[in-house]
Amino acid sequence: MNVTLRGFMKKELIQTLRDPRMRIVMFAVPMLQLIVFGLALSNEVKNIRLVGQFAPSDVVGQRLVRNALASTWFIPGQEAGGAFESVRSGNAHVVLVPPPGGLTRSVARGDGRLQVLIDAGNAVRARSIEAYLQRIVAETMAQEAAVAPKPAVDFSLRVLFNPSMETSLYLVPGVMVMILTLLTIIVTSMAIAREREMGTLEMLISAPIRKWELLVGKTLPYVIIAMIDVPLILLAGWLLFGVPVAGSLIELFLASFVFICAAVAVGTVISTFARNQQQAMMGGMIFMMPAILLSGIMYPIESMPQAISWLSQLDPLRHFVTLLRNILLKGGDPLVVAKHLGALLGLAAVAIAVSARRFRNTLN
Amino acid sequence: MKGFVLTRAWSIARKEVRHVRRDPFTLTMALGLPVVMIVFFGYAIDFNVKNVRIAVVDQDRTPSSRALQNVFSSSDYFQTVPADGRDGIDLLDNENTKAALYIPPGFQTDLTRKGAASVQVVLDGADNQTTGVIASYLGGLQRAANDRLAVAVPVPVRLDTRFLFNSELNSRWFIVPGLSVVVIGILSILLTALTVAREWENGSMELLLSTPVRPLEIVVGKLFPYSVLGLFSLAFVYVAARLVFGVPFRGSHLLFAGTGLVFLTTVLAQGLLISVITRQQLLAMQLANISGMMPNLLLSGFIFPIESMPAFFQTLTMGLAPRWFMYIVRGVFLKGAGLFEMGVPIIALCAINVAIVALAVKKFKTDLEP
Repeated sequence: MNVTLRGFMKKELIQTLRDPRMRIVMFAVPMLQLIVFGLALSNEVKNIRLVGQFAPSDVVGQRLVRNALASTWFIPGQEAGGAFESVRSGNAHVVLVPPPGGLTRSVARGDGRLQVLIDAGNAVRARSIEAYLQRIVAETMAQEAAVAPKPAVDFSLRVLFNPSMETSLYLVPGVMVMILTLLTIIVTSMAIAREREMGTLEMLISAPIRKWELLVGKTLPYVIIAMIDVPLILLAGWLLFGVPVAGSLIELFLASFVFICAAVAVGTVISTFARNQQQAMMGGMIFMMPAILLSGIMYPIESMPQAISWLSQLDPLRHFVTLLRNILLKGGDPLVVAKHLGALLGLAAVAIAVSARRFRNTLN
Repeated sequence: MKGFVLTRAWSIARKEVRHVRRDPFTLTMALGLPVVMIVFFGYAIDFNVKNVRIAVVDQDRTPSSRALQNVFSSSDYFQTVPADGRDGIDLLDNENTKAALYIPPGFQTDLTRKGAASVQVVLDGADNQTTGVIASYLGGLQRAANDRLAVAVPVPVRLDTRFLFNSELNSRWFIVPGLSVVVIGILSILLTALTVAREWENGSMELLLSTPVRPLEIVVGKLFPYSVLGLFSLAFVYVAARLVFGVPFRGSHLLFAGTGLVFLTTVLAQGLLISVITRQQLLAMQLANISGMMPNLLLSGFIFPIESMPAFFQTLTMGLAPRWFMYIVRGVFLKGAGLFEMGVPIIALCAINVAIVALAVKKFKTDLEP
């Protein structure tokens, strides 16, 4: 590496990391975020407030409520002015309304019908609540032994790679992608925009360094910083949440490196459009929000409209999160790694080419 | 020079309006971006998982096993993919399918002779966002399979479910209002965090501090124009939600606008606070992201239900403005909740607002009087 470049990169690293607050933001905060989100977030619907309007003499109904509460999905809710009002006021998420005469008698008659009111303000939760209830009703009826305990066709369910459905296992790769994206894109684009805003970019142009040195010297330090974060986050994920590295570490670091290069290049492209840091930041947001939401970290890509699903192929985050999940949890299927790493490489190449071109043009 | 003088706050506000007007880029972003994002994401995001590719390993090859496959493929949820001799788990491994159905040999014989047969469904746990939803579909499919294949077994208790407030379980009705809180919350924090940090960097804040303006006047003067801007973008978002996605609005508009204003001033003041603490745009931006973006997106109850968090984090989210506004927005849109039912969230939101504004004023004050 030549001397100019080395000196330039040193300046950039010092400039970024000299503020102790910045060091905290770059290294400590990503780990903290990972820990908080890994501990706090869960997709599983729990603590559902249940109200069963059964008379004390309604044996079947009371048993149903007991079973529901014992399942750990439900907690007792409060009844406040009728079934509908209880749900509307948020005192209950679900209310069971027995048929006239009680559930016990209606089951004995052989036409058991139970009305269920579910708060569908959250459509996903509503669906889970219904599924839970189906299961609990079936169990309760089996206990009553009124009918055949086993359904004719039984689905036995097995969840691979994450048998206990731990949210942190699949979320940690997602949060890792988000943290790296935030760090690289925003910091790179704003750092370059700052030089422009302060007028120091002009000075750098007139300095005896070549343009490619300027570009590489300006961007490579951020690649290095982000690459330091990768093992830190992985270590935190492994120690705290037991996220395994089932596949090869080399593949993992290679994928991270390519992704980080792509992200830094995108940050550079954004900075060439921005006149000041605020515009750079806004540009970063315009890229990041869709990139995060369409990556499959939070929403299933399968259920997106076809056009959007195609569009998400251009999202480097999508490929990176697929790679991370596959390598960390499934051990890295060679075909998948090749395919998504290839896509990521292609995107990185395009981003770097565009950034080099845009960077040169804005300097002239 | 004591107390609060409205004219001085007004001058600050006018100066700020000029700043914004001079920068059409920021203005367009602040007003247009939320609407564009909500329309785009509202269209793109759908929790109703459809067409999940499921690999079918049929080792029975009988009319019954084909009928079972039919139950899967005729539902909207699944798209069956014959495994053709490959192992179903391999297909999961290389991301071809999200699930696999194993029908063991002797399925039909078991069904006719013993009256009960078992099949195995394997799900990809590396993506439990989807897995959770698929698992909840399977209950319904199992009933459908029983109806189709087995000798009719009377079901002793039939659930007669009514989904209140969103009877079709249209997931957009719940995503779009939530998304507007997230988008507006994030953008507002960034807006003030950066504009004021820039004044610190330029040194124009020093100039401002040497004038007779009081800290409270500065804070109010700065918050006012951005709050108006935020209210406009909230209105645009509201129109988009109603017209484009047909989300019903069953509550009070006044309540929505009022709480919206409280929420906006809270997040804008949070941005101001960040800018005073950091006084540097790059750092301000990072702090705004940490304290704004991630909590707004992940801890507000937008996607991940607050009830499912551990008790400690449930308590923690009580200090976050987006959590309460999210609750209010979903309440007024879908449930038609009134002032009375929303009492707790409104009080909490106001308390957070007062705390953050007071903190911002105090920080400005200590900077004024060294």
